[in-house]
Amino acid sequence: MKKISRRDFLKGSASALAASVMFGSGLNAAAEEGSDGTLYIAWTSDMQTMDVHTTSSNYQIPLNIFDRLFEIQLNDDGSTELVNSLVEDYTVSEDGLTYEFALHEGVLFSDGTPLTSADVKYTFTRMLALPESVQTDFANAIAGSDEVMEGTAEELTGIEVVDDTHFTVTLSEPFAGFLYQLATPSCCIYSESIVEAAGDDYGIDPALTIGTGPYVVTSWDHDNSIILDLNPNYWGETPSVTHVEISIIPDASTMSMMFQSGEIDILDCDYLDSSVVESTYKTAYADQIVSANRLSITYFMLNENVEPLNDVNVRKAIQMAVDRESILTSVYSGEGTIEDGIFPTGLIGHSEENQGWLEYDPEGAKALLEEAGYADGFTMEISSDESASSGVLLVLQIIQQNLADVGITAEIVSYDEASWLALRKSGEMCSFVATWTADYNDPDNFIYTFFGSADKSLIRSGNYYNTEVMERVAAARAIVDDDERLAEYAALEAQIVQEDAAWVPLFSRTHLFVVSDRVASYTPHWAGYSDYSFVGVTLA
Amino acid sequence: MKSFLKRLLGTIPVLFGVVLLIFIMLRIIPGDPVTMLLGEHVNQDTIDRLTEVMGLNDPLPTQFFNYIVNALHGDLGVSYKYNREVTDMILEALPYTIKLAVLAALFAWVIGLVTGIISAVRQNHLADRLFMGFSLAGVSIPIFMTSLFLQYFLAFKIKLFPLTENGSLYSMILPAIALGWNSAGRIARMTRSNLLEVLQADYIDTARAKGLRRNAVIVGHALKNSMLPIVTMMALQLSSMLSGAVITESVFAIPGIGRLATTAISNRDMPVLQGTVLFTTVIVIAGNLLADLLYSVLDPRIRKEA
Repeated sequence: MKKISRRDFLKGSASALAASVMFGSGLNAAAEEGSDGTLYIAWTSDMQTMDVHTTSSNYQIPLNIFDRLFEIQLNDDGSTELVNSLVEDYTVSEDGLTYEFALHEGVLFSDGTPLTSADVKYTFTRMLALPESVQTDFANAIAGSDEVMEGTAEELTGIEVVDDTHFTVTLSEPFAGFLYQLATPSCCIYSESIVEAAGDDYGIDPALTIGTGPYVVTSWDHDNSIILDLNPNYWGETPSVTHVEISIIPDASTMSMMFQSGEIDILDCDYLDSSVVESTYKTAYADQIVSANRLSITYFMLNENVEPLNDVNVRKAIQMAVDRESILTSVYSGEGTIEDGIFPTGLIGHSEENQGWLEYDPEGAKALLEEAGYADGFTMEISSDESASSGVLLVLQIIQQNLADVGITAEIVSYDEASWLALRKSGEMCSFVATWTADYNDPDNFIYTFFGSADKSLIRSGNYYNTEVMERVAAARAIVDDDERLAEYAALEAQIVQEDAAWVPLFSRTHLFVVSDRVASYTPHWAGYSDYSFVGVTLA
Repeated sequence: MKSFLKRLLGTIPVLFGVVLLIFIMLRIIPGDPVTMLLGEHVNQDTIDRLTEVMGLNDPLPTQFFNYIVNALHGDLGVSYKYNREVTDMILEALPYTIKLAVLAALFAWVIGLVTGIISAVRQNHLADRLFMGFSLAGVSIPIFMTSLFLQYFLAFKIKLFPLTENGSLYSMILPAIALGWNSAGRIARMTRSNLLEVLQADYIDTARAKGLRRNAVIVGHALKNSMLPIVTMMALQLSSMLSGAVITESVFAIPGIGRLATTAISNRDMPVLQGTVLFTTVIVIAGNLLADLLYSVLDPRIRKEA
């Protein structure tokens, strides 16, 4: 994971220390301590649990205290590749059904418990069997997973333990994204004995929630701070950051002031207004900005159950009416890429052939609307999630204006987050803007999530009508030949977005961070998450 | 004493009513904790399973009955989101809010009374105008503005105070001022106007005529007689401080009850919200009882009526 040698930066540490002292407020120990290996960061809200089986939103701690079987490595050219982590070696059978894995020898959990194949089997069984699990999707490709989920079997037949370091996984049908799935934070590897000993406190009590990863959580003061230290038994290389202090700072402007006072080392610009990023950080801190390509797609969903959005020509007209270029420029200062499909730039399966077809064309939109019998326009609702960043509301307002230009009266209705999610889940939300970020680098993670079945489309208020296409999306998972599979995905993408106009593809946004003088290098998460591994941070 | 007990008993239906109300309201508003937990990773099978596991499929009266029975045993349930005992979460957050509220109240009471008295005695002099200006600002500027303003200038620019709460009492001073300024303003204005009124009374002239010194008259006669409504206000300010604490705690990153409640609302974490509401209700009721008690101490007539 680490690409930059620490020694290169040690020389510069003295001057960096002096700089940070001048910079610092003198109130927090942060700035003065210089190169003592401590990293100070902040979150806006506390995590829910450290147990990834019961959360899908707090990955930073699990990323750092556990290991996965594989990791995704971000290359300098922006491409990503799958690299071994706990797995030392593996083979895949011809039919794509059976995987044989060999674990690294001598890997220990931070309390000294050795990692065995049985722990891997236990981890995936728990992921499926735990009633509170939110991650069953990440293990349901394994043979016998349905029985474990339904509770009719206790044993996950698809994983066979050969010996302490060797195991075999059998899938119920071939699934090309499987290894990539194993590299997601959802698939952190647990120890059976540790989890069982912790019981209900697993994920909640830091002393009982331990993994094989580079760090251990030494203190969790709820809603206030989280402290991590090095795992004394870590099997990998010792990272540059040896101590991490995370503060919970709910107010973004407070967080911004803390960064400028030298109390925080890495500031996530997602928390800030893009105007603040423009006016303050891109000027005074221009050299300290780290930008990450975010494997995400921001889309404007149109509910096909709502009249007149059920008319494909109306949806096509809306696609043409939205001026994505000016949205990206005016709201996000152009930090991102216009996307024309489902698979964003950088994702495996992103097809250049499916790009460039959608142009801003209000006149064309009007003509299409007239053809569809809506020359006088119509009214529709755009649902806005109040908890979303201020940028999203601006995006909606520009869309509203774009639609007004072609005669469509769109009303923006605000909901608090919980109400918004509930309305969307009901399948009755008329239209909305949201963003999906990759869990694993495979097109399946995007297309199957939104268009894998009528249920999946309903629960995201898309109500995509084309059942034939959805059957193909589900079937594509099992295509063993990679070229064939990606060709099918490209065809499906064109059909869904271009022919059926199921959504208006908007853009993928760059994820900006600002780092303090104390940080020599910082490698964000490969998919541009807010969560990242501290191993990827080198201190000055 | 008897009347006090009576009032104490009278709080039971109030508490019950508050719990019932919040319970019903939380179930009427749209949104549910399971969907919130899943966010973008929404999935019908998972929703169904989690809803069952959390007991959200039970009929509402059953849920309410269970809640009340458990609450009477001191068990406020387990947070939907954090899977922790609500009682633990409240007990962890409470010291922060108490520290903040007590400091803010001290600030409000001391500053409010002192500036109020000075303003009354030095009516229309410079000190009076200055203090009344400050108190007007306190009363009219919303707490979030005060908080941001104080934080920006005193902590960020001048670096006199830490930006956020860091465990020390010193770091609580700014939040306490931000929270207490409004109350201080109210108390100062009321003290001033009440004192001015009392100072016109005949018995003040009498006291002066007896040869008492000016200060003795003000403290011993005037202030004592004008204190009654001020004490009521001081006790009632306690509840307004709890609502203001929500904002102050957020700006200064204090992990107190106010923040617990706001995050619970947005997460639809009903057990946590019910718990915090129950706690704040108890505190407000206690504040009112305290005011009543002080009343009877200060005014013998009320003691007799009781």
